Amino acid sequence: MTRRHYNKMAAAIVLILAFGLPLVVRSATYLHILVLLYFYAYLTTSWNLVGGFAGVLPLGHAAFVGIGAYTSTILYLQYGISPWIGMLVGGVLASFVGVLIGLPTFKMRGAYFALATLAFAEGIRVMVENIDRLGPFVLNGPRGLQIPPLKLGLGNLVFASKEPYYYIILLMLLAVLALTWVIARSKLGYYLNAGGEEPDAAMALGVNVARSKLTAMAMSSFLTALAGAFYAQFTLYIHPKSVISLDLSFEIAFIALIGGRGSIAGPVLGALLLRPVSDFSRIYFGDTLPGLHLVIFGVVLILVMIFQPRGLQEPLTRAYNRLLDRLAPGQTKELGT
Amino acid sequence: MNILEVKELGKDFGGLTALQGVHLSIEAGRIFGLIGPNGAGKSTAFNCIAGVYAPTRGEIRFNGEVINGQKPWNLCKKGLARTFQIVKPFASKTVLYNVMVGSFLHTNSTREARRRALEVLEFLHFAGKAHMRAGDLTIADRKRLEIARALATRPKLLLLDEVMAGLRPAEVDQMVEIIRRLRDQGITIFVIEHIMRAIMALSDRVAVLHFGKKIAEGTPQEVASDERVIKAYLGEEYVVSGS
Amino acid sequence: MLFLIEDAINGILMGSIYGLTALGLTVIFGVLKVINFAHGSLLMVSMYAAYWTVALTGWHPYLALVIVAPAMFVFGYYLQDIVIKPIFKAEQDVREPITVIIVTTGVWYILDNLTLLLFGPQYRTLQDNPLRGRMLEIGQMLISVPKLWGFAAAVLTASGLYLFFQKTRLGRAVRATSLDRQAASLMGINQYKVYNIAFGIGTATAGIAAVTLVPFYNVFPTVGVLFDIKGFIIVVLGGLGSIGGALLGGIIIGLIESVGPQFMTATWTEAIVYGLFLLVLFVKPSGLFGVRYDW
Repeated sequence: MTRRHYNKMAAAIVLILAFGLPLVVRSATYLHILVLLYFYAYLTTSWNLVGGFAGVLPLGHAAFVGIGAYTSTILYLQYGISPWIGMLVGGVLASFVGVLIGLPTFKMRGAYFALATLAFAEGIRVMVENIDRLGPFVLNGPRGLQIPPLKLGLGNLVFASKEPYYYIILLMLLAVLALTWVIARSKLGYYLNAGGEEPDAAMALGVNVARSKLTAMAMSSFLTALAGAFYAQFTLYIHPKSVISLDLSFEIAFIALIGGRGSIAGPVLGALLLRPVSDFSRIYFGDTLPGLHLVIFGVVLILVMIFQPRGLQEPLTRAYNRLLDRLAPGQTKELGT
Repeated sequence: MNILEVKELGKDFGGLTALQGVHLSIEAGRIFGLIGPNGAGKSTAFNCIAGVYAPTRGEIRFNGEVINGQKPWNLCKKGLARTFQIVKPFASKTVLYNVMVGSFLHTNSTREARRRALEVLEFLHFAGKAHMRAGDLTIADRKRLEIARALATRPKLLLLDEVMAGLRPAEVDQMVEIIRRLRDQGITIFVIEHIMRAIMALSDRVAVLHFGKKIAEGTPQEVASDERVIKAYLGEEYVVSGS
Repeated sequence: MLFLIEDAINGILMGSIYGLTALGLTVIFGVLKVINFAHGSLLMVSMYAAYWTVALTGWHPYLALVIVAPAMFVFGYYLQDIVIKPIFKAEQDVREPITVIIVTTGVWYILDNLTLLLFGPQYRTLQDNPLRGRMLEIGQMLISVPKLWGFAAAVLTASGLYLFFQKTRLGRAVRATSLDRQAASLMGINQYKVYNIAFGIGTATAGIAAVTLVPFYNVFPTVGVLFDIKGFIIVVLGGLGSIGGALLGGIIIGLIESVGPQFMTATWTEAIVYGLFLLVLFVKPSGLFGVRYDW
């Protein structure tokens, strides 16, 4: 067997496991945790489009989760519009905001962009917390919005059990991973990587660096907002602290960075490794030691940045390649980027 | 026909005048050299032409079109490519990846970009290192990578910024050979260089900058025997004792 | 009309304290060329330090300065030396070490949540301190006394920093490093030691800000976030790296916050602050008083 076969086999095993899991895991609690795990993997993968490939540091992605969640929920509650449509509207709105932040800051030092995204996410949270109505739209300030689970079904994206949510977010995750894979191998991917690494050289080779970053930002914020709408339908309750919080922004960035930004597997890997840490520390220490998982994240982040700046995916990829060397010796390894 | 026409070029930085009244015209298909001692304004002139700085005065025409202050990526699309004196490889990527960034300029297809990048590497006898990480290359190879990337954008005019600095004599000879082959492909070459030897052997025409002004222009022989050039390079005393 | 003047004065005073909290941010950026995202958390730590010093000793709140400022200098010095320096060394030839920003956000999270673990989420105030609620009456206007002292502290600290960077040997070495780190190290300046010192100074100014805040401001684990976000906006308004700009940027924010509510709800005041922030980014990204960078 060639390496290609092994790779295909590994992918098939992962897919079968992912799709078969709900047949084995019957507990609603564990399914809930798994759904959130995929939700985070989806978010970090979307984050990676701009935070990984474009070489900048977005620290306010919760704003886009919030825009998606609030847009679809308001449209659903007040106008009866299907969350699937609300999702897309939220996505468009989010990419508009993303471009608005990126437009002035992508031409400057990276610190400006990091700073502006963070400040804006906080700004949006503060606004939502203090506004009960925005024109005709009811936001309910800090109390948030509740979705009554009256009309079940795929059209309304409300289900009585966790399984449908599980499969929807799994498909969303696979779609965004496929998209990332395609982009990494496309002109845009090459331009983003080049502009992220050596902007002057990239520009001299005909790359409009700021514009390719803007494209990535628009895509990333669009995709992130879709997940926000999903989250609202999954938990049926959103409030500013849950969907626009700084903690969420940071968790997305930290998980992606620890897993390995700029790689396709990194952000997913980060979610697989770190989400259980936060879930279990919340379950077991949530009352006695609040914020413990965030301390752990912080420490892990700093250690990874010092000793393994390309993230945990690097040693793991290496180990996987060594394993393949043993299984299929003598073949040149496939060239990554 | 002149592919590049520079008239009355001037550039100030704050109160400092780095360039003053520089005229240059480069005939298509030739190798044109720009030399001058350190701080003469070579890099400033170069960066004005390459779109890094907007000139304070004067006019730069490329293919008859005024290109003052145009962005580097637009110039590249028009057929004006450059290399960097301090090489800037995409260090974590392979040589092939680096060159593909250049060849994507004229195609959206990854396969096509790869094919063209490999052609360029083949042409530069560089294909054997296509899958090496750019960050692991030697200095000479990094300079070659700079040229390969620029070449992949299919330039009409190629600006080479001290591609021979820091190379050993044997490597310099290889580089001279490469540049000649590029010219034979029909690419006009504008090379700036600190070292005289290579550029004199290479160029069809040479201009000399000193304190931001052009003090001489002509064939390498003419320039080499010009008194002002000798003064600029070797100082007043040399001329006095030599004459 | 009188209300308006009163609000404006109090806004300028509070704004100068915002500026004081942002001074460290601008000093550290000026030298290291990175934004210290943990700056708000360092302010929070300083506030806890000041709070406990006063609560345990019963000293006058401002006396805490002799402990807090030096302690924070040491804290900042070693934070840079132990946590941030390794990254700088690893990314020496990277044009902009973005990893450093990442690490400082990690520090932010550790400090905030560690404080939450240790002291709990409750708000703490220095109950009976001589400054609490003290007002100066000028005619019919009431001016907060601790804010007045805060204003004085801000102006003094800013002038002190300015003089330090312009007039002293060490300050000049720091500036030289900020201009060209390679050249400076060739001149025998130890680049990393300069970074340590700059970080220490920046953190010590957070200590000064904390001491002026504690007599009238609540102390809680996420108090730093509030000042962090304001600090970011302030330094962008004023121009990253500019000391005077930080002070003026702070005063602008303070004025909007205090005078704005006379004409609109507080939420929209907030919106104006963010609108201004965005406007400056679009129109004059180097800030109102900043130097143009090579971006």
